[in-house]
Amino acid sequence: MDVHRFGIKLFAADPASVRLEDFIPVFHGWIQKQNVTEHLLIDVHDYSHMQEGPGILLVAHEGNFSIDMGGGRPGLLYYRKIPTTLSPGEHLATILRSAIEAVRLLERDARVQFNLDEVLVLANDRLNAPNTDASFAELKPSLAAALQKVFEASFDLARTTTDPKERFAVTCRKM
Amino acid sequence: MPTWKETLADKMEPQLAEEIDAFEMQMALRRTGKLDEKVFAETRLRRGCYGQRYDNGHRHDGIKTQELGFLGDMTKGPDTMWDAPGMQRIKIPFGGVTPEQLDTLADLAEEYSDSVLHVTTRQDFQLHYVHIDDTPNLMRRLAAVGITTREACGNSVRNVTACPLSGVCHSEAFDVTPYARASMKFMLGHPDAQGFGRKFKIAFSGCREEACGLTNMHDMGCLAVTRVENGADPAMPKRGFEVYVGGGLGAVPHSAKLFDAFVPEEELLPLTQAIGRVFARLGEKKNRAAARIKFLVAKLGIDEFRRLVHEEMKTMPADPRWTSYIPDVAKYKDTPSKPPAPLNGQQRPDGFEKWFATNVYRQRQQGYAVATVTLPLGDITASQTRQLAEIARRFSADTMRTTVEQNIVLRWVAEADLPELYRELGRIGLNEPGAGTILDVVSCPGTDTCKLGIASSRGLAGEIRTRLADRLFTLDESVRNLHIKISGCFNSCGQHHVADLGFYGTSRTIANRKVPHFQVVLGGKWQDNAGAYGLAIGTVPSKRIPDVIESITSRYVRERNGAETFQDFIKRIGKQACRSMIEPFMDVPGYEKDRSYYSDWGDPREFTIGDMGTGECAGEVISVTQFDLADAERLVFEAQVHLENETFAQADALAYRAMIQAAVSLVKTQFLDVKDDAGVIVDEFRRRFYDTGILGDRYAGNKFAEYLFRRHASPPSEHTRDHAYRVVEEAQLFIEATYACHDSLTERGAAGVFPAPVQTGKAARNL
Repeated sequence: MDVHRFGIKLFAADPASVRLEDFIPVFHGWIQKQNVTEHLLIDVHDYSHMQEGPGILLVAHEGNFSIDMGGGRPGLLYYRKIPTTLSPGEHLATILRSAIEAVRLLERDARVQFNLDEVLVLANDRLNAPNTDASFAELKPSLAAALQKVFEASFDLARTTTDPKERFAVTCRKM
Repeated sequence: MPTWKETLADKMEPQLAEEIDAFEMQMALRRTGKLDEKVFAETRLRRGCYGQRYDNGHRHDGIKTQELGFLGDMTKGPDTMWDAPGMQRIKIPFGGVTPEQLDTLADLAEEYSDSVLHVTTRQDFQLHYVHIDDTPNLMRRLAAVGITTREACGNSVRNVTACPLSGVCHSEAFDVTPYARASMKFMLGHPDAQGFGRKFKIAFSGCREEACGLTNMHDMGCLAVTRVENGADPAMPKRGFEVYVGGGLGAVPHSAKLFDAFVPEEELLPLTQAIGRVFARLGEKKNRAAARIKFLVAKLGIDEFRRLVHEEMKTMPADPRWTSYIPDVAKYKDTPSKPPAPLNGQQRPDGFEKWFATNVYRQRQQGYAVATVTLPLGDITASQTRQLAEIARRFSADTMRTTVEQNIVLRWVAEADLPELYRELGRIGLNEPGAGTILDVVSCPGTDTCKLGIASSRGLAGEIRTRLADRLFTLDESVRNLHIKISGCFNSCGQHHVADLGFYGTSRTIANRKVPHFQVVLGGKWQDNAGAYGLAIGTVPSKRIPDVIESITSRYVRERNGAETFQDFIKRIGKQACRSMIEPFMDVPGYEKDRSYYSDWGDPREFTIGDMGTGECAGEVISVTQFDLADAERLVFEAQVHLENETFAQADALAYRAMIQAAVSLVKTQFLDVKDDAGVIVDEFRRRFYDTGILGDRYAGNKFAEYLFRRHASPPSEHTRDHAYRVVEEAQLFIEATYACHDSLTERGAAGVFPAPVQTGKAARNL
């Protein structure tokens, strides 16, 4: 599977503790310090007026971070945008590390805790990763290896939805 | 690895597919420095690829201006970094969009943007934070569902807008939809619309009294009218349009002038073409601030402008497309998903009555209604978009419409389905009431993404919405139905001039610190197709604007005379009284006393105007010749690729096409209507540029022209590497010669030696 556009969502441990407006100054502060590794942080966008939208968005050249409200479950959603020369497993591990770095910073700066026992992985590429069993079969080994490498734990992997219009997504739960 | 180009090859119209391939090739040329950045900037703008704030690589972070270290120094326009995120505007003619198209738009928002679609004040969609490298595939996926981004920006005919109630409205003369569509198709890429100094906007309205079409504020406004001609059946009146020209908002708003009280339907397209030709020929090119057609109409006077247009019409070669669509006009109709049914007896969910009162319009077709889906700040998520498409399939007709108030309307909803529709919209967070009310605040993107934004129009709009949301139905009815529109700067993309309460962003310096302000504009008229422009009465700090609204509306409720409208109230009390209403809110406390004034809504950074860039609304003024020559270069580049791939026949054919393209670019400087026929082009080129010696006066004599003549007269009988190589090389040299000739002519023209750079019509043919 030749895909570089992956998304990772890590969920807030206590959804009620997420107040979107609190993240605006936090993200602006990150831009001032440019303190996400290997990311050029560019801008902040407020989508807090939308139901189950991207909430507060931090745009970077390499990928976008948002306090995503999708599915009614707030969390940090990181979308990788730029192409890679890494293998799928290494690429996924890199993306997972970027998402984890962001939640560690949020835990420090926004005082919101995240639950790292569950990871949502999205392939943001309907052409190369359609939402099919075949995509799942192809991605599963790389994804399992990446999760093992980054979290030093095994995860149970399951397709999130079989709706062909939705993006291919895998719900990963720590075993 | 599959590609969208291959996957969608049989789903795209060949012409759309070819245009996108050409754009991709132009991107490749720009990457290698073979295409000038100004030419590329206008090229991408004409494909809807717009710049976005901070794309010059600088951003003030609240403490200092940071250099954004985009990789490399490649640019996609003057002072515009290649890698900087940009905006993609997607044209939706008359706002008509199908569920299938919504599905695709949702996919694109997720995969290339930030999962949000934004509806604009001209019925377009916009995606933000898009990388230019993604745009060819984005365009292919749109083309596969019949959408083009061509001429969504740049100095071109922009989206053709129309009343979203067309065809179902009680007060319209007739449904303007097929005319709006024909107008869009006819003018899209039309050669006579490529040499404008600025953009050109067309709007259609079905009636005079309502606001929907906003014909008075457009470059060309077409208002549906009918007339019974001598001896004709009164039941079958002749269709036509009351046509207005020269309207526009921007920093200096102009009301459109009546061009003709009745233009018969068959004359609509030739008239549009003629107006375009006069605008292209006589409109300002150098001073962008005075380049819209409104300035030309004001300079010439409407009578002289009309005379010139009518003269132009006489010289234009007839085009069958002028009338070929008319027989199909009567066949145009939406297909509802269900039969009509009255709203009787169904159980009505909580909140339904309020939503029904503000968001539902009963169609003139009994048993059907239009339901407005209110989009806060014009935004809808990808997920909502996809689900809205499903809802539309179930309840509505085959098309929805976006609106200039940044909403979406579902038409042909059986009234009996309205309660269930309300529930379904609620499930995805889209059943908010208040469409068309004071809560339905319109805003341009402002400082969120626009390079020209001064103050945060969206931030202010969001704050006003938050404060009014719970109070909407407790407000006096006279206030509830007022319109608020906000622009981030004086350019009026938020249409503040035609709002009851309009605001545009500005800045003031207080003790060496910048403070965001808004100019208050009162009494504009939304109805009567944007019937009157408001009165600017003074600037107020951004943070006090909600208080200003409260104060003005309270006084209006207290002091209005009976059913006096807000416009009449403002006119009656006068500018001085209006100003006195806002004066209590004009003071700015010291920085140490209250720092909140020194930052903008939704943005904790200390306010600065240092992030403003050079806007791209005006585009780059690139001559038609430059575009044609750039296209010739693209073709010869493609020929070189074929040469490398040893596909010699294609290499030869493309090199020949490149020479023809270069030749026609020069011919058109004297004869705009030259036929699209290689033989004619070669003959005209020979007569005008070879026989006269004009081509060769500066660049190697006439010998390069002979390359064209030879290849034209003697196509190869067999395709060999040597032959293809020679033709490709000769094509390159011929294009260089045409560039040199164009430069020479331009210099002489500037010195007054070349008096008629573009002549058209009969005069040109008599050369």
